Amino acid sequence: MRQILSVAAIGTTAAVLLLGPCLVHGQSQTIQISNAWARSAAMAHGSMGGGSMEKGAMGKGSMHKGDMGKLEGANGAVYVTVTNTGGQADALLSASSDAAQTVELHETKNDAGVMKMRPVTKIDVPAGGKIEMKPGGYHVMLLGLKRDLKPGDKVLVTLKFERGGEVRAEAAVR
Amino acid sequence: MRMFRHCAALVLLLTGSATAAEFKGGLLTPSKMAPDFSLTTPEGKPFRLSGERGKVVALWFGYTFCPDVCPTTLAELAQVRSRLGGDGNRFRIVFVTVDPERDTQARLREYVSAFSGSFTALTGAPERLAETRKAYGVVADKRVVAGTSAAYLIDHSAFVYVIDPAGQLRLMFPFGMPIEDMTHDIKLLLGR
Repeated sequence: MRQILSVAAIGTTAAVLLLGPCLVHGQSQTIQISNAWARSAAMAHGSMGGGSMEKGAMGKGSMHKGDMGKLEGANGAVYVTVTNTGGQADALLSASSDAAQTVELHETKNDAGVMKMRPVTKIDVPAGGKIEMKPGGYHVMLLGLKRDLKPGDKVLVTLKFERGGEVRAEAAVR
Repeated sequence: MRMFRHCAALVLLLTGSATAAEFKGGLLTPSKMAPDFSLTTPEGKPFRLSGERGKVVALWFGYTFCPDVCPTTLAELAQVRSRLGGDGNRFRIVFVTVDPERDTQARLREYVSAFSGSFTALTGAPERLAETRKAYGVVADKRVVAGTSAAYLIDHSAFVYVIDPAGQLRLMFPFGMPIEDMTHDIKLLLGR
């Protein structure tokens, strides 16, 4: 970090100190989010596999849970580029969004042509480094969409970092 | 088989210069007839691969629960189709579910409509879907995974199988192949 605190950085620091838990859109002191986008997707309009949906009870965004309370329904993915401008390693720990029932961090790995998608507990962002989420790599998985994601829509996600705290990002649906 | 190979060679000669070096995707040599199958559309209509002669078919095996690799591939193939312009109607994108349990006909209808109907979704009896996967060497392993709200995930092959207008399995596109390269190959197979 050194002592190269620019006026802007001091300003940001002051704002953070003053506003406490309020979120700075798209960046924290050390974390910057760029190129946020989401894949367009359609939620299931009351016709998901496996049956008994309480139509109307929860409105358009309703969905049911299948065996063992596991989520079923339509999913989506948000991709962001995370840049850590700080001098210490950070990690993305979790994400949340009002667009989905559950939000998880996932990674897809290509194992000799077989794609394996798995949840991850965190995504490390090295000091001075960046993580570029993209199809076939890391993504923020939206499980159980509450609404359609149509091109031109925005999806708000809040990303929680180990050091950088919470950072909000606005993902453009495309 | 031998006669068939001769025919294939003749087709190659007639269509001109489509040699291995010109294709960007993985070329299958010798090419063979694409294994035929009969599955069901979300509207409940039968779909037979051999009924698509005269078109190039891009065959993809996936599941709608997948938010990442599957919609990415389908969106990219749709872009290829639009880049073909008027020839797009001779290019059929086919999505075969590897998850008949969750991918009901209703679910597939919605999925297709979310992609503006740019592809044909297919399902069928689990045994028949398994036979089809086996014929193409497609892997699909259901995994119950800790740490997710998803009841299960499916590890699956991520190649696009490309069938030429004569019904021969000619190319395999790996995941992430540039759209311009895929478009290039489809044009070659269409004789453009």
